[in-house]
Amino acid sequence: MKTVRVVAIAVLFLTALTILGASYLAPAGYERQFREVPQAAPSAHHPLGTDDLGRDRWARLLYGMRVSLTLAPLAALFTTVLAGLVGGIAGYFGGWTERCCKLLIDLFLSVPWLFLLITVRAVLPLNISPEASVTVTFTLLGLLGWAASARVICSGAKDLMKSEFVWMARASGFSGLKLIRLHLLPNLRGALFAQFWISIPVFIIAEANLGALGLGVAEPLPSLGSLLRELQDAITLRPEPWRLLPLAVLIVVISSFQVLLNKQVLLNKQEVRA
Amino acid sequence: MKRLYLPSAMLFLGLLSAFAQTGGELRFCLRSEPKTLNPLLVEDDASETIRYLTGGVLVRVNRVTLKAEPELAMAWKVSEGGKRIRFKLREGLKYSDGTPFSAADVAYTMEQLMDPALHSSTGDAFRSSDGKLVAQVISPNVVEINFPAPVANLVNLFDTVAILSAKSPQKEMAALGPFYVAERKAGSYLLLKRNPNYWKKDAAGKQLPYLDAVRLDIEQNPEIEALRFKRGEVHLINTVSPAIFEKLSADNASVRDAGASTDTEQLWFNQVPGSPLPDYKKTWFISSNFRRAISEAINRSDLARIVYRGHAVPAIGIISPSNKFWFNAGLKPHAYDTSSALRRLQQDGFRLQGDTLRDKAGNAVEFSIVTNAGNRARESMATMIQQDLKKIGIKVNVVTLDFNSLLERMTKTYNYEACLLGFQNVELDPNSQMAVWLSSADNHQWNPNQKSPATAWEAEIDKLMRAQAASGDEHKRKQNWDRVQQIAWEQEPFLYLVNKDALVAIAPTVKNAEPSVFRPQTYWNVETLALAH
Amino acid sequence: MLRFWSWAVLRLAAVMLMASFASAMLIRIAPGFSSDDQELNSGLSAQSIQAIRQAHLADANIPRFYAQYIASLAKGDLGTSRSLNQPVKDLLRERLPVTLANLAVALAVGWLLGVALAVAAQTWDIRALGFLANGLSGTLISTPAAALALVFLLLRWPPAFAAALLVFPKIYRYTQNLLQQSCEMPHVLTARAKGAGPWRVLAWHVAPIALPQLIALVGVSISIGVGVLLPIEVVSDVAGIGQLAWHAAQSRDLPLLVNLTMVVTFVTVCATLISDAAQRGFMRSAA
Repeated sequence: MKTVRVVAIAVLFLTALTILGASYLAPAGYERQFREVPQAAPSAHHPLGTDDLGRDRWARLLYGMRVSLTLAPLAALFTTVLAGLVGGIAGYFGGWTERCCKLLIDLFLSVPWLFLLITVRAVLPLNISPEASVTVTFTLLGLLGWAASARVICSGAKDLMKSEFVWMARASGFSGLKLIRLHLLPNLRGALFAQFWISIPVFIIAEANLGALGLGVAEPLPSLGSLLRELQDAITLRPEPWRLLPLAVLIVVISSFQVLLNKQVLLNKQEVRA
Repeated sequence: MKRLYLPSAMLFLGLLSAFAQTGGELRFCLRSEPKTLNPLLVEDDASETIRYLTGGVLVRVNRVTLKAEPELAMAWKVSEGGKRIRFKLREGLKYSDGTPFSAADVAYTMEQLMDPALHSSTGDAFRSSDGKLVAQVISPNVVEINFPAPVANLVNLFDTVAILSAKSPQKEMAALGPFYVAERKAGSYLLLKRNPNYWKKDAAGKQLPYLDAVRLDIEQNPEIEALRFKRGEVHLINTVSPAIFEKLSADNASVRDAGASTDTEQLWFNQVPGSPLPDYKKTWFISSNFRRAISEAINRSDLARIVYRGHAVPAIGIISPSNKFWFNAGLKPHAYDTSSALRRLQQDGFRLQGDTLRDKAGNAVEFSIVTNAGNRARESMATMIQQDLKKIGIKVNVVTLDFNSLLERMTKTYNYEACLLGFQNVELDPNSQMAVWLSSADNHQWNPNQKSPATAWEAEIDKLMRAQAASGDEHKRKQNWDRVQQIAWEQEPFLYLVNKDALVAIAPTVKNAEPSVFRPQTYWNVETLALAH
Repeated sequence: MLRFWSWAVLRLAAVMLMASFASAMLIRIAPGFSSDDQELNSGLSAQSIQAIRQAHLADANIPRFYAQYIASLAKGDLGTSRSLNQPVKDLLRERLPVTLANLAVALAVGWLLGVALAVAAQTWDIRALGFLANGLSGTLISTPAAALALVFLLLRWPPAFAAALLVFPKIYRYTQNLLQQSCEMPHVLTARAKGAGPWRVLAWHVAPIALPQLIALVGVSISIGVGVLLPIEVVSDVAGIGQLAWHAAQSRDLPLLVNLTMVVTFVTVCATLISDAAQRGFMRSAA
């Protein structure tokens, strides 16, 4: 398993490098249209060929990764913090507080938030930059996506509150913030991390789906989501495997995170036992 | 790549070959669930398909010759300058449920259709002024319809009026057309079976239609539709996207480019005086110099070549050249000329400062183009226009909105700067454009519902449109309509971008197909279509 | 027990009411509520367009609409879909079974695969198997539902199996963790030391500990299943609830959307209740 972890770390390191160095690695701007060669196959000039408008796919993938892989974790962070707060409060206090929180969670999971997103788009000025609009989209996703995670955190916190060492800590006079800081949070860390990593691909895809409603990134800025959306017409295409690269990148990057995440959970278990 | 229509001799041969090949189930897809099965209330494409396949009409416009041909009516006569029409009906016809057809059914249908509470676009087309229509049964097979005012293009309008039965217990489900609706599973499919009482026979006296049934699968995703076509699960695709067309033709599937369609794709600027835009932007948009400059800076042939992969032609004006009679052949294509565009802008006081175009007051020229999300071709066109206009120092922001949000901005809040959309022109007659070109109309998109015309040229168009509607003389109407096209070409309230080709896919097993650029492109002659076994 | 279930019913009713009301409010506030694409139909007269607009505004007063909706709901009438011109009841009756059948297949296959692989990996301790199962679940957990649906479409495999593959990793991981934890418990270790075979240990010592927690997972997996199935239905054009919801959202079909919110809420809350009940049962038996 060690080799797998090394590979995962290498993948993530490489991804970070590509994101940072996108402007050096890309042969042309992501928006530049080479109108003489639309839908070109890979060549020396365009390593992944060009898209429908003649834009360099490689450049678009690099910048798309930059947009999605920086903003999706940001949204995941929001979600995890909110989930930790609501789930933690529910689990810590129990009783009516827990019931109310659970009600809130159910409600959040059931309401079609799509319409809130549409409304926000309507309120935003039309001449907002694509970067700002995609940031707003991801932020909203982060603010709305916490409910499912909160439920997991809640049950985790509840279990912890019943565990022996929390009883012991309570007996030895720990309470309130100190109990949360020293015992609850460190032990919930595994669950919180798990929720964080799980949220990232969810948000990347959610952004792609929202693109179909005009709520994702605006042209010409690419995102992994908008590149995945181009795959929609893959079913009638002649085999053009290079077009699948955005999907492969997404799966590889998220899987790498997952590999490290398992390690993290393992470490946590040891901590619990110690 | 454009193919001419098959000569009629081939159609005749096809007919002969079809004798041995009757029966079978023709399958194709609807893009959405039909909203209604009542032929009088049809507004959407899916319902229109059902109406076309099941409805019996008095006259049918031949989609190749564009001439009205007798159907339920053997003959007709228009009199009083288009206020009155008298139909002589075929005798002995029956609905699919066996109910006999007579002149009373025509009168009943027209009265139902023209009920003001019905709000049917089929009915509204006949409504040239207030007042009541009178449908009079002269004899069991003669009916006369009197309109309160002359109706332009009267005969062809009956192509969309499916005659209901006044007496049938099945009401609107009793069909006079070649098929009737036998089965329906919401969200999934409709099965139409051949109408055993259909009156029409082919040259050899064999009863039409040749097909036993038509199965319409509801399939929203055109990619899946194409995939199913490739697998032989569906026989026809009425509108194929250029990308799918290319893929299918590379796979040797039977796709055809029937030539430029009558549909238009256009960009327009918001000229509504009360819109919430800043005043300096309103000043840009109402200037015809500004609009024409933008028009000249757009590379239309690139749009046609790249976005539509060559299956479109740069648009000239309101009317597509394929609408041969009504198209103003005197108009030239809009030139792509950035230096001329800049000269025009200079006339209005704009100047290029570094990479940025600024107006007289020094405001950088920047605007957004809204279009409906999910339409890849429009998104691509907007993105290409964005790059084109960058060359003359204009910053364009492309904003895609879901259709309802876009509609609200276009028709209620007027909170948009420029909009890119396309219009389907089903009717070829200019009268169908009244609701767009009259300055008082709702669909006068750039500045709708004007109390009095905002500009002299809009006032002139109003006059010309009213004159053509009131006239029964086609040549006079053509003259008026030519002038409207000329004004629209000069003023460019709509910047027409391309006329896309009618691309269709027809399986080789379908015999006698004769695709047209006019709707319904592939199955307009459904009664003579046959399947090779 | 009675207290738990009465609270459960109350919770279900409260969330359903609140969610459907919130959804109606959101739809009302979102732009395009009173717009209809027929407004662009140049064949319609000004009066007809006006009539269409008026018809849309009839439901504009949400508290009133909602009160009327609840009143007719009490009589068993779910209203009429604005965009499809059909009673909502008929639409649900036609489409719910499709989604439920797919959900059942997705859950059954997902569970079977997940539990079988987890048990196999635990019992036989074959490195390659564990590696394969981990790799598969890791890849599937990172795969977007829509992308997988496209692949299935291309291969002509039933869409329910795509949903099953997306439910699988969650089941597999949870079960695997649970089994691992249970196997490390003192009495299980003792049983093993005494020479009990792996299947015997699993059946007699591990299963009783793990089962209640797995039942709690059933509830969660229903929510997960619904979550992945809806987008898959849209991509693969399955005439189920997901496709209907997407259509309704695009055309701002208020009566239909409010009812769909009710359905989704019902499933979500019931799934949570199953988990809660299972966990309670577990607690009680543990005590």
